[in-house]
Amino acid sequence: MAPPRALSEFVAEANEVLETLAHDVAVLDAQRGREADPDLLNAIFRAAHSLKGLSAMFGQERISALAHHLEDVLDALRLGKVPNSDTLIDSLLEGVDVLTLMLREASGDAASAETGRRANTLAETFARLASGGQSGAADVLDEVGIDPAIRSVFTEYEEHRLRENVKKGVALWKVRAVFGLDDFDQRLASLNGLLKPLGEVISTLPSSQPGDEASIAFDLIFGSSRPKDEIERTVASLATVAPLTQKAMKPAAPMREPEFTPAPRKPAPLFIQEVSAPDLQPYQQSSSPSGVMQGAEPSLRSLAQTVRVDISRLDSLMNTIGELLTVRANIHRLAEVAKQSSGTPLPKLWAQELQKESRALERKLDELQNGVLDVRMVPLVQVFDKLARLMRRLVRQSGKDVHFEVSGGDVELDKLIVEELSDPLMHLLRNALDHGIEIPERRIEQGKDARGVIRLKAQQLGNQVQIEVGDDGSGMDETRIRQVAIERGLVTHEATEELERRDLLNLVFLPGFSTRSDVSELSGRGVGLDVVKTNLSRLSGLIDIESKRGEGTRFVLTLPLTLAIIRALVVAVGDRTFAVPLNSVTEIVSVKPSQLRTIERREVIDVRGQTLPFVRLSRIFNLRESTADRYFVVIIGLAQERFGLAVDALLGQEDIVTKPLGGRLTGVPGIAGATELGDRRAVLVLDVGALVEELKRPQAAVG
Amino acid sequence: MAPRTRFDALLERFFYRPDETVGAWLELAPEIADSIEEVDELPEEFLAFELSTETYAVPIGAVREILKVPIITSVPRVASHVLGVMNVRGEMLPVYDLKQRLNLEEAPARVEGPNDVPRGARVVLLKDPEGDAGILVDKVRGVVRLPLSKLEPAPSLGGDRRAVAGLGRQDGELFILLDVEQALA
Repeated sequence: MAPPRALSEFVAEANEVLETLAHDVAVLDAQRGREADPDLLNAIFRAAHSLKGLSAMFGQERISALAHHLEDVLDALRLGKVPNSDTLIDSLLEGVDVLTLMLREASGDAASAETGRRANTLAETFARLASGGQSGAADVLDEVGIDPAIRSVFTEYEEHRLRENVKKGVALWKVRAVFGLDDFDQRLASLNGLLKPLGEVISTLPSSQPGDEASIAFDLIFGSSRPKDEIERTVASLATVAPLTQKAMKPAAPMREPEFTPAPRKPAPLFIQEVSAPDLQPYQQSSSPSGVMQGAEPSLRSLAQTVRVDISRLDSLMNTIGELLTVRANIHRLAEVAKQSSGTPLPKLWAQELQKESRALERKLDELQNGVLDVRMVPLVQVFDKLARLMRRLVRQSGKDVHFEVSGGDVELDKLIVEELSDPLMHLLRNALDHGIEIPERRIEQGKDARGVIRLKAQQLGNQVQIEVGDDGSGMDETRIRQVAIERGLVTHEATEELERRDLLNLVFLPGFSTRSDVSELSGRGVGLDVVKTNLSRLSGLIDIESKRGEGTRFVLTLPLTLAIIRALVVAVGDRTFAVPLNSVTEIVSVKPSQLRTIERREVIDVRGQTLPFVRLSRIFNLRESTADRYFVVIIGLAQERFGLAVDALLGQEDIVTKPLGGRLTGVPGIAGATELGDRRAVLVLDVGALVEELKRPQAAVG
Repeated sequence: MAPRTRFDALLERFFYRPDETVGAWLELAPEIADSIEEVDELPEEFLAFELSTETYAVPIGAVREILKVPIITSVPRVASHVLGVMNVRGEMLPVYDLKQRLNLEEAPARVEGPNDVPRGARVVLLKDPEGDAGILVDKVRGVVRLPLSKLEPAPSLGGDRRAVAGLGRQDGELFILLDVEQALA
């Protein structure tokens, strides 16, 4: 067994490779039906290859074996030995899933037999795909006539690309360039850059007629359907262009633009992926009945707790630290002056300088703080990619016709939050597909487009990020929601009488609520929206529902950009001090005891016409109650809940870093941790989410 | 011919494809064999301290550091023998009052800082796999060496004595050896 450190590094590295692989396969999937971009195929092949090598080195034989099969089939695919079929793409998608599962199992969980079975079936599928499909047709390359001396140096893959180009009637050119030895690599790269938009650079061969000692000549074998003079114009003085083939090319098929555009290597800032169930072959994987797969749906969180960081961000951190060192030196000097002038009063200049340095220190520390926060930020595309993959499969299984739109993947959030988001988002998307979007026939009856739309959209709004999961389906039925909530004993009939539609919708967040009596195969796992809500509360997030009957539903999630450093309101109860995360505070009011009312003996206050529970922090924590002639009430708004938290005094706002209370005290209800304020004292930070849950519990028992 | 070899090297670099590379993992691989098991050696040195009228001791290896009593922030909703949390250079750590746990005192103490304790009082910060924790002691006596072979098991006096691991004697004085894990539980 590998020691834990090596294992965790393996998992982190393998996970990274796997994520690249998954992303590229997703792009390939999105381009279904079109000819695959050879660069993309190569990238996928390389990822499978690295994964194989990596896992073999760490003795992860299951992963290595499957990656090996994957590599074989991808090799055959990029060499054109097997066609780019739907079955093949389906099995690649399944491959990514199984490899992810295996990696998860390798990193801790026990290896499950189910995963093994899926892997075996998949390996057979890959083997069948890789061996089949070889066509014995006459080689088109023989017909066009290529200089045998040149042809003999082509690799199998290059020959395949040549063949593909000839089949499409694309002309082949030999682009000859002579470069100096000192900079030939850059100049060759720029030549490649010029040629790429016009066609495909199939091979780069050192020329058979080298130039003088100080230079080197290359023959770029180039396939392009553009006329010769256009290519010549493009390369200008860099190179000469000559036909590669001796016989004239058959004027095959009308001239077309190059079939593939180079795939974006980086996830595009805004990308839209499309899924259409009926166009696709049903997913066939006999060993994995959909029921089982649903039950065992793995969490989409990534396995590694690492963050890949752009080196420039680290550089800017280093710069800031360098500047901080200068400030330190200055302060040190000032301290020396102060020491030497003991007894005599210090010059005014000294005080001014000290003040200047202290301001500089403050500024640099702010920069440093922002820099570190920046490093923790990752784009949402990391989780959106996984969700898109999952949705594609779910849509296929559902038999519904759905267009899945993703946008805003470039929005960045703290790594921790992005990880925690994957499961709630998956849940909301499943709900949209399962409960939201109607079957095509029903949609047509209602005069809608047969194809439904599910949208996953992110945007940054100041210090917060808004993520929206929307569908244009049937919308939520509040009468049905009320009925179910009463049936389940979650609320009393009377209580629902006064509820507005919006509040009725919010009943779906109660634990134990699930609208459909027939547990659906897609989203029915007995886990309700309450889990989504709890997860969000943990992230200090808010969730809102907008729903119109017949028009669709929108869940809007509002999240802070980071959890690492937060702004907090410091409050006092008696002689105790507490910090309340400011992102959950909506406003602060002051209330006289005479303004308190009670409902069923619970205290409430009226805040501009809205009745809110009034909760004394001193009572929650069994502290001595002070008799005041007025209370400061911090109005807490978390997800859908609002309540007023009464404290004795407000002490101000601070930027805080919440630290856990040491291993033994974690999980004290209502306390998220402690933080250090100016005087180095530990101040407890309230866990607002837990307090909200606590408040709700007795209420739920009423029904 | 010298230029030729340089030329070859350049070409090689140029046509090199990263397909075959697995990164820096080769260097890591030998580490797999390097997990060395450490033999658990019983400690002979103990840190002795006073709690009320009794003298207790913990293995010196379990002590992280000894602190002057800091400001302790009490935490609601925890067991009464938890005094609260303290800030040790940015780390938040719990502080325990063992007197109640060891039946040396009836009522839970309320200690919120250096002003609430006698001058000699200290917080002994103990290492523990469940999370390091401090214990408030009345006085630190120093390090004692106790021959392992002469340690006695804890006598059964009834009551909750699980926190006592054994007894040691030196120069006629009795040292009660504390089972840290049990004492903090």
